[in-house]
Amino acid sequence: MRRYETVWVVNGDLPDEEVKSTIEKFTTIIAEQGGTLINLEEWGRKQLAYKIAGTLRGYYLCADFVGHPDTVKELERNYRIDDRVIRYLTVKKADKVDMEAVQAEIARVREAREAKAAAAPAVEEAPPAEEAPPAAAPPAAEEPPAPEAAPLTEKSPPEAAAPAPPAPAAEAPPAEPAAPETEVTPEKQEE
Amino acid sequence: MAALPRRRRRHYFVRRKVCRFCVDPKLTIHFKDTATLKQFVTERGKIIPRRISGNCARHQRQLTRAIKQARLLALMPYVPSPPPP
Repeated sequence: MRRYETVWVVNGDLPDEEVKSTIEKFTTIIAEQGGTLINLEEWGRKQLAYKIAGTLRGYYLCADFVGHPDTVKELERNYRIDDRVIRYLTVKKADKVDMEAVQAEIARVREAREAKAAAAPAVEEAPPAEEAPPAAAPPAAEEPPAPEAAPLTEKSPPEAAAPAPPAPAAEAPPAEPAAPETEVTPEKQEE
Repeated sequence: MAALPRRRRRHYFVRRKVCRFCVDPKLTIHFKDTATLKQFVTERGKIIPRRISGNCARHQRQLTRAIKQARLLALMPYVPSPPPP
């Protein structure tokens, strides 16, 4: 068993349902071929550096998995068949894997995701709660940043794909801020 | 001619270039991390040679591979697109 990382880019002009269905399709292929999925990251919609298949937008998905060379072969065969996939890349990360360590990592990834899911709504709820009791003296210093932070977090997710930011933010902080910015510009240019 | 490091006397101070990836172990090379990779390409999108960037052979190899992978995935340009008219 080897450890691989695979990235596939779905045509960004397609609706979200199409994108989501590719996730299901390719993760099941990995599972059917005897692979184990460790983590799935959605980098979200990004602007492509050049035109592919007549579009400048791509939805990036990245799966980290353990599998055999044949798993990759079958996966890439399916990438080539599927018209929605405009680019793909599979990279070997390790030749040998310790399955126990992998299981531990899967558990860790799941935990992190659940923690993030629990934290995300909490952040949204927090600002109104702070605004409600403005009479309290000590938190006065904390009040100005809170309203500022609130509109920012509210604005950015709808522009990017809504479900994307929570998942990839953990491992790709430098890439994330760039995504919404680059994405905004092409829309303006087109208009 | 005197600028050659071998012949260096006190006339020129040749700054010793060090591999940034060797110095800072936190700095990793991955095709996903385009922010780091962009520091090693020119405005034209060309990979900066080791002679200029000062990277060690090993890291330069990893870097060029990562840049090429990023280009394939359209995360980085092969040739920068011209500014819109």
